[in-house]
Parts: sequence; C-alpha cells; structure tokens
Amino acid sequence: MQEVLRLQNLQKSFGSVRALKNASLTLKEGDVVALLGDNGAGKSTLIKAISGVFPIDRGDIYVRGEKVSIRSTREAMDLGIETIHQDTSLAPDLSIARNLFLGREPVNLKWLGVFAPIDLAKLRDAASALLKRVGISKKLDADALVSTLSGGERQSIAISRAMQFAAKVIILDEPTNNLGVEETHGVLRFVKEMREAGHSVLLITHNIHHVFEVADRIIVMRRGEIVAEQTVADTDLLTVESLITGADVSALMKRAQ
Amino acid sequence: MRSPQFSSFVILVVLLVVFAVADGNFLSPLNISNMMAFLPELGIIALGMTLLLTAGEFDLSVGAVFALAPVVVMLPVQNAGVDIGVALLAGLLLCIAIGAINGVIVTKIGISSFLVTLSMLLVVRGAALYITQGFPLKSWDQPGFLVTLLAGSFNIGAFRFYTSLWWFVGLSLLAVYVLRYAKLGNWISAIGSNRNAAVARGVPADAVKIWLFILTSVLAGLAGMISAFRISAASPVAGTGYELEVIAMVVVGGTALTGGRGTILGTIVGALMLRAIRNGIVLVGVPGLAYNIFVGVIILAMLILHALLQKNAARS
Ligand SMILES: Nc1ncnc2c1ncn2[C@@H]1O[C@H](COP(=O)(O)OP(=O)(O)OP(=O)(O)O)[C@@H](O)[C@H]1O
Ligand SMILES: [Mg+2]
Repeated sequence: MQEVLRLQNLQKSFGSVRALKNASLTLKEGDVVALLGDNGAGKSTLIKAISGVFPIDRGDIYVRGEKVSIRSTREAMDLGIETIHQDTSLAPDLSIARNLFLGREPVNLKWLGVFAPIDLAKLRDAASALLKRVGISKKLDADALVSTLSGGERQSIAISRAMQFAAKVIILDEPTNNLGVEETHGVLRFVKEMREAGHSVLLITHNIHHVFEVADRIIVMRRGEIVAEQTVADTDLLTVESLITGADVSALMKRAQ
Repeated sequence: MRSPQFSSFVILVVLLVVFAVADGNFLSPLNISNMMAFLPELGIIALGMTLLLTAGEFDLSVGAVFALAPVVVMLPVQNAGVDIGVALLAGLLLCIAIGAINGVIVTKIGISSFLVTLSMLLVVRGAALYITQGFPLKSWDQPGFLVTLLAGSFNIGAFRFYTSLWWFVGLSLLAVYVLRYAKLGNWISAIGSNRNAAVARGVPADAVKIWLFILTSVLAGLAGMISAFRISAASPVAGTGYELEVIAMVVVGGTALTGGRGTILGTIVGALMLRAIRNGIVLVGVPGLAYNIFVGVIILAMLILHALLQKNAARS
C-alpha cells in the first residue's frame, strides 16, 4: 500500500508546555489509525499541526512522499487533508448548505474573486445530495440553520463535509462525543466506508470499543510523545488501556486473573 | 415572516402613521426632504457597521472620523491652496490608515474592538480638535464637481433631494449583494458566527476583519465629507455621539451585536426609524431636552421585541 502521510519528529510547545515532543507516524492508503491517549496527551495538538491550525516548531511532514510545509488550514485542505475538530467546526448562524461549502463556495463569475456571487442553486442541490448520501436519520433541509440542529446532527454535517471533497486523509477528533447510539453507528459506518474507498483515516477517541470495531492500527500518546504502536489484530483491550494510563501491564494482568 | 427586519419594518410603518396622524406636517414635502437630507450621512456609516458587526466586531471611532476627514481635507485647501483632489486623496488615505490600525490591533494583538476603537475615538477626536484649535473651519465657498457629486441637490416636484441619497442607495445595494449573495458575505457571517470554524475552512478571518474596519472608516470619512459639503463647513465636534446612534440603527434593524447575523435591509429600516423618531418627536412637541429619553425607550423596546422573537423562533 502506498504511503499517504508521514510525520517525522514533530515538535510543538505552547510557552513552557511541550505539547508535542518528537511525534512520528505514517499513514497508508486505506489505513484507519486510532490515536489514543489521556486528556492533555497532545492528540489534538498533533492533528492541529497537520491540519494547519498552527505551525509546528520543528519536524517534517510528507504527503505522498513529498515534503510539504503546511502554513494554513487552506494549504492542508488543498493537500487533501480534511479535519473535523473536537470543538465543532460549524457556524451556527449559517444554513447547512452554506456550512457544507464554507471556504469553497461554488460561484458564478469567478473573476470577481471574493465578490463573486455564490451559485445558490448548485449549493442547494449539492448539499441535498450530500445529506441524502450520509443518511442522517431525520430528513434535514439544506436551508435550515445549523443552530437548530442537535449535536449529533451537527457532527454528521461536519463529517459529510469531509466526505464531499474526497480527501486523501480524513482526521476525526472525538467524532462520537455527545452522540446518540444511532449517530455513533453512523460515524463508525462512515469510517469503514472511507477505508473501503481508499481514504486514510486518523481517528481520535476515548472509546476503546470503537477502536476495536473500526481501526487497523493503534497509536498511543502520553505527555506529548508516541509511546506505543500496535496493530489491532495483535492486541487486546486491557493492554491498550494500560498503555494509555501508563500502568504496568503484567501487574494488571495478574490482578485480573 | 418572523424575521427581525420584517418586525422592524412593521414598527417603522406604525411609527410613521402615528407621527403623520399626530402632526400634519410630518409627511409634508419639506419635512420629508429634511429627513432625506440627514438620512444618508448616518445611513452610509451604518452600512459599514452592519458588515463589521456581522463579522463580530464594532467601531466606536466612526463619529470622530466623520469630523476629522473633512477637517483634514478642507484645511489645507483653504489655508495652503492645496488642490482639492490631492486633499481628498490624503483624507482617504487617513481613513484607510485609521481603519487598518483598528483592524490590525484587534486581530493580530487580540484586544477587543471596544477598547481599541474607544481609544481610537479619543485619538481621532483629539486630533480634529488640536488641528483646528477647537474652532470650526471657515465656510467652504468653492463649488465644484466634487461638491456637486457628494452634496448637490435637485428637485422632484415639491421635494428637494441631495445626491447623497443616491450614494446611500447605491452603497446599500452593494452591501445587500455582498452580504447575501457574494462569497465574501458567507465568510463575514461565518467569521462572526464561529471564527474558529471559519478559519478551519480556510477563510482568512483576520484579513476580512481588517478590510471591514478599513471600509467602515472610509465610509465614515465619506459621510463626513458629504455632511461638510452640504452645510459648507467642517467642525471638529461634528458627529459627536454618532457611533452609538449608528450602532443603535444597526441593532434596531435586527443585526446581532454578537455577530453572525446581519441584515442590510434591517439597517436601512433602522436608519429610517431613528431618523423618523428624531424628526417626529420634535414635530409632535416633545421638548428638545427630553427627546433622548424617547429615543432610548423606543430603541430598548425594539431590542426587547427582537429578543422575544428570537426566543420564540428557537422554541418552535
Ligand atoms: N493553544 C494552546 N495554548 C496553550 N496550551 C495548549 C494549547 N493547546 C493545547 N495546549 C496544551 O497542550 C497539551 C496537549 O493538549 P491537547 O489538546 O493536544 O490534548 P488532547 O490529547 O487532545 O486531550 P483531550 O483528550 O482532552 O482532547 C495540554 O497540556 C494543553 O493544555
Ligand atoms: Mg483533544
């Protein structure tokens, strides 16, 4: 399988907080990697660095083998990296359709630049088609304001936005947080679909059961460092849990017996 | 039809009817002409303020810029024989600089627009007072193409209109287009609604805000020029308190002070409403010193109404 994304020795500090120390990882085509770790381990920081939210202090990022520098969210998207952030990434006062195409509005008279009129018919049609494809339980109107949606519905909208631009790498930061049973299954189904379509997925979650359901590999972070990397087939729940907390595995195993 | 601009519009109509019934002169050609003469000056600033508020910021320095721009333009022409074109260019650059400074400090240093533009108000107003030593300029006695363009007047029947009305109409149409139909308008609303979300989608939020601060300053300067040409004089204390009047127009029209929801049509209604109130309560015979009480109460009532409608909409 072809390598899609490679991170080498990424470092990032916020003042005296070293949120990321020497993180390296590789994502291949159709790879679903779960990024695990306790609160404050540096997971969100890692993915924000990849998605261009802030610049990294040191380290290299390669996309399809080519070294890149990602200086803005726009550059990350242009490289095919779509991110759904933990602190939801929708504008509540805008309609669903306008959110879906935010930053990439279909326009007429392109030469007018930012003053170009949005192609409202196209916007609506594309949005409706997309909503149908995600298969959200309730029928949603593309013109409805996002502020009228439930948390789960918002999450689904954010996810369908990532789908639509057929990104190479899709990053989900705790996508099942605050979701009901049905919506959670929708998200997991989406991850599987993405893998089948050949996209790579980087999934951050605190729910280890979900990891075992959809992921191929597990990467564990602790205090800004990647401390373990395992294939799902070769590990089990207890091991992963102890890796996250940093507890002694053998001691845990003994106690469990 | 529960939209905020619609409810504002209904109230505007009610107010007009009340004033018209209370005083027969309210709808006389002379009075309408008077209202229409003042309307564009605050209205033009309100258009910029609407876009800025929609993006989640506001500008308290507009009233001071309204005074400083014509002072800076007229003084060198009157005292040093500088060409009016050159002077206007200098005035324009000054407004751009004021807006850019506001915008850069707010976005790049991260100080709230309240504090930044409040300080700018003092700086700009202070500059206008210092340059003029506190006195109004000599009256402007040089008619010319620019004067006609900004403050010429014409008659339609018994009505007398100023060209500034056309400026207001044209700029309003542009603003409606930008906010509702253009890509930029989508960005402006998104930035005010959830800045991080907009940035995560590649929207250049800081640049958009800086340009909106510049636009608002330039529009305040333009309004100041229009006003100064109309009354043929520039004064360092012109436009005192306009910042709050303009913000009142905008929020009365239904634009959210918290950003994300802006309506140009609402602002036009708001501008008409405040103009009508100021004019109407004088005609109706409210003593001059008391009329700010009425203006304040009516604004409060409007805001309460918007808040209630908003609550209702959320519930249903
Ligand atoms: N913008 C910031 N400024 C300062 N410190 C930050 C910033 N963002 C993150 N940090 C710090 O960096 C560390 C890693 O945070 P990060 O958000 O990456 O954790 P996380 O693994 O995503 O945790 P969680 O599971 O709670 O979401 C924390 O100590 C956090 O306080
Ligand atoms: Mg996080």
